Amino acid sequence: MRNSIISWKYFLAAYLIAVPAMSETTINIAGWGAKSGPLRSFGVNSQAIIDAAITRVNENGGVTLEDGTKAMMAVEYYDSGCNAEQGIAVARKVASETNALIGIGPTCSGVAAASFGVFQKKVDDASDTGLQMALLTDTAVRNGLAKISQWTFRNTPNEPDMYDKLFAWVAENRPEIKTIYGGTETDQGHSAGTYSKVIVQAAVRHGFEWVNGPIEGVNGTIVEGFKNVLSSSSNWLMADTNFSVQARAFKKSGADMFIVSSHPFTTCGFLKELYRQKGMPKMLVGLTSSSSAETMKGCSKQVEGMIIPTSFAPITDAAKEVAALAEANGGAADLHSAAAWENVMIIKQVIESVGITGDPANLQDERRKIRDGLEALETTEGLLGTVSRVQDEGEALKPYVFVQAQSGNWEVIHDPR
Amino acid sequence: MVITSVDVIQSIIDGILYGSIYALIGVGFTLIFGAMQKLNMAYAASSIAGAYCGLGISAVLSLNLLVTFFLGPLVGGLIGILVYLVCFRFIPSREHLGSLMASIGALFLIDEIIVHETDGSPLNFPELGIFSEAYFLVGEFGFRGDLIFVLIVSLLAMTSIILMLYRTKYGLAARAVSQQMNAAILCGINPHKVNASTFFLAGVLGGLAGCLAAAAVGVISPLLILPLTIKGLIATVIGGLGSIKGAIIAGLLLGGFESLFLLVRGVNERDIYVFLLLFLFLVFKPNGMFGSIIDRD
Repeated sequence: MRNSIISWKYFLAAYLIAVPAMSETTINIAGWGAKSGPLRSFGVNSQAIIDAAITRVNENGGVTLEDGTKAMMAVEYYDSGCNAEQGIAVARKVASETNALIGIGPTCSGVAAASFGVFQKKVDDASDTGLQMALLTDTAVRNGLAKISQWTFRNTPNEPDMYDKLFAWVAENRPEIKTIYGGTETDQGHSAGTYSKVIVQAAVRHGFEWVNGPIEGVNGTIVEGFKNVLSSSSNWLMADTNFSVQARAFKKSGADMFIVSSHPFTTCGFLKELYRQKGMPKMLVGLTSSSSAETMKGCSKQVEGMIIPTSFAPITDAAKEVAALAEANGGAADLHSAAAWENVMIIKQVIESVGITGDPANLQDERRKIRDGLEALETTEGLLGTVSRVQDEGEALKPYVFVQAQSGNWEVIHDPR
Repeated sequence: MVITSVDVIQSIIDGILYGSIYALIGVGFTLIFGAMQKLNMAYAASSIAGAYCGLGISAVLSLNLLVTFFLGPLVGGLIGILVYLVCFRFIPSREHLGSLMASIGALFLIDEIIVHETDGSPLNFPELGIFSEAYFLVGEFGFRGDLIFVLIVSLLAMTSIILMLYRTKYGLAARAVSQQMNAAILCGINPHKVNASTFFLAGVLGGLAGCLAAAAVGVISPLLILPLTIKGLIATVIGGLGSIKGAIIAGLLLGGFESLFLLVRGVNERDIYVFLLLFLFLVFKPNGMFGSIIDRD
């Protein structure tokens, strides 16, 4: 009998050593993005994947706290629309009224540009009372946003690098393509900014010629001559529904390659009109955000052949699994939403490396620890491979592939990893 | 890019074809203004709501999506009656501002309900079958098949409205109520019934316009509401408040001007010139092209 009790004691002690105690603490994070408006699908997809990632972390025992105990993670997702005021309001609410350690979001670059501005610019600046909670963006992708504040970080693809490599690849593999023409939705920060400051410059850098002669000031350097790029192009607005004039201008240009830099709603509207006018070019290049299921749902026939660089495609086991989990949660994995999975895993990694108690009394100190932990990261593991962190800018350099619309799917046509 | 005379004419053709949607909305505004001397600001919102409901009912009942084009106008008409009851029926007729503000409230309410129910996300809308990809070339000029269809349907609908107003008992009663309500009552006409019928008729027209606009785009979205409200109102004012003929012509011309300004000045300045056009009419020709004379102080 006595021997039996002793063996139970040993068994219990061994169990307690082997399995860390489960803490009562919950680690809260917040997410926000466009869950309403024309870009609603972006928020829905991000939330679906954040939920899936949190579930996965919790299924695996949760996150390890400073004292070695385990805590579950929880997320609250807010709708910031694609509206700067709404985004700022959500950021303020989360930072001041919740005990979320960190945020993930927002969707739109315009919202990010405005709301990053209400965060403290430089840490430890006592004269700046801006929000002091780290934010790790999954979607807003316009170039260079994270450096607005030292509290804001992004895990978004590096578009200048991606388009540079894309046009280098096109120049090498499609030598018959010589001339370009394009347009964008001018009231959307990401579409217009990336088009006029990054894409056209990258194309010019690799020897492609603007169809009506060189655009003044555009020499291949990022940002240079961007106003002239916009005035030389045929553009539209996010809410536009009639693209006859723009499609005719594209067709009339006779360029070998058309650049269509807009979100799925207007990309489809424009391409339908171009298709109707029988103005399809030899090659179509699109905006990163258009490599989504939304575009395929709206105009799979008209988008056929479009090439887009993207930081997500279901080509690894991990990426395939995330795509399946997203679908099971009512969303879709794309270059934006898939980053949300990586973000949750990065947050878990940082929490475990910096040592967090999860005690609400230490909230502000621990938010700071998380920020410092994020800044210190040199690499993270992404779904397509290792992601390098640009530490002083808070940005990421992610692996990417080139996809092409083929028979209703985005197929990988080049994998430069 | 050099703009040639062909580009100019082509853009005007494109715009006029698309302007048939503005004309339909403008006719709806005009019908109601003609009947009650009041503006129903919720009109375009009701029109899009009708199209949404038609699409929703078709989807829920698994009906052929083309049934949407019949359900949309019907529901648009019913919403029209609802707007009449809420915003016009019980507000004294001399309180023009009261019903105007109520209808603006209804505009936002309908918009919010749509955004709430759909989360503001665009929904695919059935396209116009063989017309959707048809594109006819006549010499150097191209014509969109679906917009030609929209124009023909619009003209037929507008002709039907005019015939109803001038060839039926309802039309006689509607015109009587519009011109002298007390005399109409003395003749045994129930003005509320006539006004409700007018709102239903305008709603049917609006629901049709909503369906056609969504079909031409291929998706339906709350983003359509504000532009249609503004452009429909501009067509109504330029055509002359109360003039159906004016609303039709102004709607088509407005589409043409809009497209021309887009070609010449680009998308960022397009609406500036459209609003300038409205401003010029209000200052120099406040009664519009065909409206009754408005005295100025």
